[in-house]
Amino acid sequence: MTDDNGSPMTDDNESEQPERKSLGGELILPIGAFLFTLYYFYTIWEVPRIAQVSAFFVGTILIVLIILLGIRIGKEVKAGTADLRLGRLIEPTNYIPKRLALFGLTLGFIFFVDWLGFTLTVFVFLSLAMMLLSEGKRKGLILSLAGIMSIGGYLLFIVAFKTRFPAGPFEKLMAGLL
Amino acid sequence: MEFDPTLFIDLFTHTFQFWWVILPAIFLGLVVGAIPGFSAANTIIILLPLTLALEPEIGLVFMVALYASSRMGAGIPAILVNIPGTAGAAATPLDGYPMTRQGRGQQALAISFVSSVFGGLLTTVVTLLAMPWLSEVAFYLHSVEMIVIMLFGISLIATIAARDTLKGLIAGFFGLMIGYIGADVVYETPRGTFGFLELYDKVPLIPALVGLFAVSEAFAVIEGESILSRRGKEAMQKAGWSETFEGVRIALSKWWHIIWTSIIGLVIGVVPGAGAAIAAFVAYQQSRTFSKTPELYGTGHIEGLVAPESANNGVTSGTLVPLLVIGIPGGATAAIMLVVLQYHGVTMGPDLFMENPELAYGPFAAMAVTYFLMIFTIAPLARYMSRITVVSTTYMSPIIISFTLVGAFVPRQYMFDMYLALVFGVIGYIARKTGYHTAAILIGVILGPLLETYFLRALKMSEGDVMVIFSSNLGNILWVALALSLAIPYLLQLRQRKRAAA
Repeated sequence: MTDDNGSPMTDDNESEQPERKSLGGELILPIGAFLFTLYYFYTIWEVPRIAQVSAFFVGTILIVLIILLGIRIGKEVKAGTADLRLGRLIEPTNYIPKRLALFGLTLGFIFFVDWLGFTLTVFVFLSLAMMLLSEGKRKGLILSLAGIMSIGGYLLFIVAFKTRFPAGPFEKLMAGLL
Repeated sequence: MEFDPTLFIDLFTHTFQFWWVILPAIFLGLVVGAIPGFSAANTIIILLPLTLALEPEIGLVFMVALYASSRMGAGIPAILVNIPGTAGAAATPLDGYPMTRQGRGQQALAISFVSSVFGGLLTTVVTLLAMPWLSEVAFYLHSVEMIVIMLFGISLIATIAARDTLKGLIAGFFGLMIGYIGADVVYETPRGTFGFLELYDKVPLIPALVGLFAVSEAFAVIEGESILSRRGKEAMQKAGWSETFEGVRIALSKWWHIIWTSIIGLVIGVVPGAGAAIAAFVAYQQSRTFSKTPELYGTGHIEGLVAPESANNGVTSGTLVPLLVIGIPGGATAAIMLVVLQYHGVTMGPDLFMENPELAYGPFAAMAVTYFLMIFTIAPLARYMSRITVVSTTYMSPIIISFTLVGAFVPRQYMFDMYLALVFGVIGYIARKTGYHTAAILIGVILGPLLETYFLRALKMSEGDVMVIFSSNLGNILWVALALSLAIPYLLQLRQRKRAAA
């Protein structure tokens, strides 16, 4: 069973014991780094030795450090002061759906900005993301803010700074009019 | 290169006449410095048609003013929303952002402005006076010494940015491995690129910066209604002009701290390629080492904000030293200045100081005047800038995500870079949530290619003998210092534990 935050519920006897640290999340980055280092070593296996030295030097130190961390966490788990749950990485769990939805919107933003251009995509993204985070409240304010930010961004970056942001129908129309 | 006081006075009087160029450059520099993806170097490139059309002296004044003010501008988002505008401001949020969360954002900005201005002003004057000696620093540092300095940089960041040294080192070395991605500089073999052509030219820094700091922060802050704590919100509502004056007063009371940390920045800035990020972290670490209250660092401690801000502005004049004295630019902006000056037929090197002292010393005079003018133009803005922190995360997070992701697109104009920024965002988010400092990863990404280049150079010179890294006296001293810097904190901790147990 879990409480409102998704944390496991405990009975009274258990709650009197000191809380165990959840260290599983702390292993994700080192495991990723370890796998990446192995992949990197694989890609340099055939190159001349002189070009391998620095990567092997840094990569080996990284692997040793990761092993040391693994030993440290392993000792804590064995001693019963820690477990391998994800802990802080996913807490508070009630924000997971919102965060995943925001991530999806961000992916969509990057995907569509190439076609819709900077101004329109920023407007749509800001409107949807702000409505998501505010849980549908203050729609008028959100639409106005999204409009001001996207037009303001267009005027500052594209018109004033001449920055080459992705151009879409709006930018092309404005370029034709100006 | 003898110093002439009359020339010094004439130069300053003469440079003040260019206030009409300096003031717009200050405001432009503040804006571009504060937006990740818009560096002073990029802006000068965009404005090249303008700078090339101007007289060389006016063009140089404009570039220098933009450069100095962008350095200060990068600290603003670092303090207010935990997003450094450039890598040079990566150490600023360590204590600047906690101050903001406590509702002291306005005070933190004022402290940052004063430290930056006085650090920058002081080092500019010192550079003018010590130019002949400073220029020799770069001659003593060869590939072997630079390897140790790079590793020193990573270990410093690991020990100071992260509360857990082991996790800090893992983050730093992981960053170095990411920095190694790309085609080999000698054999052109792609390494660790996952088959992406866009990574052949190394991992671009702006998407890394945007992802690790901005995107990850935007995903993390949605848990709260505001980035401010409850007390911070109350303090922020009460804040008036007195907060700015208090910030100025506090910063001025730390005058000695500003002096020595900015000198650290100056000396590191003279070394080509070392850069503001290393300088800021070294200054922060030194500040903490000599502090009577090292435990307060990272909690919104004033000296923890003064040190990196003074140091990264101290770097600004330092990077111009190798450019003017030996024609080697100390950073990207200095490299662009070199191109502009060469376009005008100006040749860098010792002869410049004999034949055209106004132009040789001119950049420093322009920098000093810029810093002087910034005192009166920027400090009053602290009150209004700090208001951004009361904006709800509901609105702030999506704005940060959309604008910084597009900023990641700007330097190379590859859609790929936006996806890359998102990947770094995920890495940064995991790092934040599990206690691996994002700054350590970023500094690794920055130093990775440099470390590899110095490694290759050293090995080429020694015909592949790995022991070359222990072949220089200065290098060996640095190795010992590196080992001690890692061992001493551990030994001290061990002793404290033994005492506590006894």
